Amino acid sequence: MWCEAVRLRERGELRARRFEAVARARRAASLALSNRKEFATPHHGAVNSVQVDLTEGRYLLSGASDGSAAIFDVQNATEYEAGFIAKHRSILLVDKQHENGHKFAVSMAIWYPVDTGLFVTASFDQYVKVWDTNSAQVVMDFKMPGKVYSAAMSPIATTHMLIATGSADVQVRLCDIASGAFTHTLSGHRDGIMSLEWSASSEWILMSGGCDGAIRFWDIRRAGCFCVLDQSRSQLGRRPPFLESTVEKSYSVQQRKGKSNKKPQTLHKSQIPGQGQIQQRLHPGLSTSQNRATAHYGAVTGLRTTTDGMYLLSSGSDSRLRLWDIDSGRNTLVNFEAMRLQTSKPLQLAVTEDPSLVFVPCMASIKAYNLWSGMTFQTLRGHYELVNCCYYSAQEQELFTGSNDRQILVWSPSTPDFTEMEDDDRRQKDFVADEDNWSD
Amino acid sequence: MGEPSSSYSSSSGGKRKRPCSSSNSDEHPVGRTQIYTSLEDNLSFSDTLIALQLMRTQFPKIEKVVTQPFILQSQLYSSVKDRTQVDRDLESLKKDKVLRVFKLNTGQDDHAIMFMEDYLKQMMFAVKRSRGKDQDGTEVFEWFERYVIHSKLDVSIDHHELCSLLSHGGDATEKHITLLMNAGLLTRQLIDPNMYWFSIPSIGPILKGLAQGRKEIISLLNRKKYKEMLLSSLEKTRLRFSPLDVRFHIRDLIGSGHIKTVQTPTGLLARISKD
Repeated sequence: MWCEAVRLRERGELRARRFEAVARARRAASLALSNRKEFATPHHGAVNSVQVDLTEGRYLLSGASDGSAAIFDVQNATEYEAGFIAKHRSILLVDKQHENGHKFAVSMAIWYPVDTGLFVTASFDQYVKVWDTNSAQVVMDFKMPGKVYSAAMSPIATTHMLIATGSADVQVRLCDIASGAFTHTLSGHRDGIMSLEWSASSEWILMSGGCDGAIRFWDIRRAGCFCVLDQSRSQLGRRPPFLESTVEKSYSVQQRKGKSNKKPQTLHKSQIPGQGQIQQRLHPGLSTSQNRATAHYGAVTGLRTTTDGMYLLSSGSDSRLRLWDIDSGRNTLVNFEAMRLQTSKPLQLAVTEDPSLVFVPCMASIKAYNLWSGMTFQTLRGHYELVNCCYYSAQEQELFTGSNDRQILVWSPSTPDFTEMEDDDRRQKDFVADEDNWSD
Repeated sequence: MGEPSSSYSSSSGGKRKRPCSSSNSDEHPVGRTQIYTSLEDNLSFSDTLIALQLMRTQFPKIEKVVTQPFILQSQLYSSVKDRTQVDRDLESLKKDKVLRVFKLNTGQDDHAIMFMEDYLKQMMFAVKRSRGKDQDGTEVFEWFERYVIHSKLDVSIDHHELCSLLSHGGDATEKHITLLMNAGLLTRQLIDPNMYWFSIPSIGPILKGLAQGRKEIISLLNRKKYKEMLLSSLEKTRLRFSPLDVRFHIRDLIGSGHIKTVQTPTGLLARISKD
């Protein structure tokens, strides 16, 4: 099938972009535990976050529960075992022994989006530290009022370098690397914040998911959040023809015309003293703080946008995964057959770049779902304990996962035709596809 | 086998899965003897509304409590293959006011689906019972039925909106809301004191039976050597703690993912799923 695609491309029947898309999709659909790449993780605690840098796709940064953060080179191995298994050791490790290292677990470690000279770590010791990669020193740190669960930087930011941090405190704080101070404090959530994600289409829009089950959209140029996702407001399919809010308003106006208006006002005064007046004094941007809509029946543990910035995936501690249309703010009602998800830790989800598959850490395995239909596509089993995070590298179509068993596993495409072509220059007789050599 | 009709007495709706079993339908008289059709034949449907109507007719009869039939959402997921389609169909049926969805307090994501006429009948029983106790303030039940139920189609409602909808009928006070809660039509949310869940009145003992029955079946399967059992023999067990019958529980457990079914040469096998 692979050769056929090449032949079609040769004849000009398949365009270059389409050929590339087909090849990527096929590789992403055939992920299996890599038999030629492994990571020797130096961590002594559960791996909480993994991320490959966005500029080159070459370095993997991982943060673990023993307060350590490590960097690996994904493309060049440090040594080769048995001739062809590439073993990657960490090229940098900062842990509790470091003079300025974190004292408790590192919950999130992210690269500075512009280059790999800096990385940021967020930890349960209430500090967010910015490190210089080459000298392995802490350049800046920020003290937060509670355990920090999550940190995020916008991958498309050109005018700001803000780190959005979510902690056990109800406010989202934005820390500025350029000035070393907190620039924004976003209030609106009613409980701690477990997951943060910047929009892929605008450098000013931030999405936060809290332990109260709400997902809020913030535009950092103005006050307050402009959208709260509500799981009961849904759309069937991709987009409704017109917004329902325009229809609802006219209906309620008609209803009130026939009844007397005195009664509702007396009720409001007795039941909710003074709230009518308070509502008028609120800044228009803060009116959504009264909005109690929830996106999940439990805490929101993970958020991920698709690379085109149109859809948002959220996972909750009610073991549901929901797909939201960002522009209309509605639940698309795609039902992912998520069985049981971890409830107390933030999860890192991954989406392929042509958004066709979503990878979710589901107890001790990773499940790949088809994004639009919600059907389980594949279950990747390899870890011995609960999986916390996964990262899909679009460049190589590889998936990196970290779990409580302190290992980082690599899942690579296993198309047999492809491995045959790669091994032409090596003397690997056993890799030639032998049709009689099969077993269940 | 003909097309499944949407009337309540269609017992051949489930046989669409296996067209060769038409001989079975000759032995069973239509509609009345639902007990003879085994769960295996009726396990999957292709349409949400048909599945709902069939499961409604199969709702077990309980001696002590009078309840209208309701269907759990997990049962629906186990019967119809495409879950996304189920969610979307439910949404459009909710908007057409054919049925109502209620959130139950057993477990994180349990929902019960009830047809609108069944819910109104159940509400009337509850209203009649509460009318016997306390005379004043009973006009709130009419206001509730006329204004709140038909305009608010979600599972929950907040205090502000409830008061404003009730006051279309008259002056709504705290006492009215207390009456509604005592009748079992509204429940307070634990996390947020200003929000209420809609609930099915007098469903308490059934929910208790539901939770206990689930535990009983799971422990029954866990005690087996390989944690699996043939579905036909599982159906024949008698539950000690639950007034609902085994088929109800099995459908619910398959839909919520605790049990998975495997096809074997001797029939379907139910196994505890570990994931």
